[in-house]
Amino acid sequence: MLEIRTAADGRIQLVGRFDAAEAESVDRALKAVAGPVFLDCAELDYISSAGLGVLIEAHKRLAAAGHALTLSNLVPRVRNVFGYAGLDRLLKIV
Amino acid sequence: MVERRFPRTAASLEAIYAFVREFLATKGVQPEAAFDVDLIVEELFTNMVKYGVGGQPEITIGLDWKAPALTLRLEDFGAPPFDPAQAPAVDIHRPIEERRAGGLGLHLVRRMADRLEYAYENGRSRITVVKRVEA
Repeated sequence: MLEIRTAADGRIQLVGRFDAAEAESVDRALKAVAGPVFLDCAELDYISSAGLGVLIEAHKRLAAAGHALTLSNLVPRVRNVFGYAGLDRLLKIV
Repeated sequence: MVERRFPRTAASLEAIYAFVREFLATKGVQPEAAFDVDLIVEELFTNMVKYGVGGQPEITIGLDWKAPALTLRLEDFGAPPFDPAQAPAVDIHRPIEERRAGGLGLHLVRRMADRLEYAYENGRSRITVVKRVEA
């Protein structure tokens, strides 16, 4: 289960597990943002290739519009998945 | 081996994670160890869901434990044969503009699994994964 929270400052918090069952809802939430996207992943416990795919496409879409996708506060085991996929060097992770 | 059948849909994932947790708990394995197992089983299961055209409505997942390794088995009847161990490698060094989700799941499985085997016989695809797990 994944909860998508939008904070008052526009940051999006992902809370829970970002798997294939949740990919569509995150994709919709990210497409609804007009400008840059800042994702707070402090409470993101899990991500699979379905989640990574949504973030790759969001990055490309935002970059084409001159905006950035920024991921923050990744927990180590989630960050490892980005590393295995070679995305820790390609996406903006702070 | 403990086996359970799950409907061929991504909506089965929560029940599959629960099955993995329940199994690992009975073997005294720390729940943190479930992360890699969840990822491997999700990637292989959703692959069967997406590409198993003509397959039966349920996929069988089996778990077995012989310290320090977990054996995971997925069986799909009626779907076309597809060997995940032979899928083309993903070049993770390509620039982001050339990256896409396709193939990434099996790349992660191969990275995380200690052994990945595939067999096809009489219409049945069987994937077996062995993963060392810290108890």
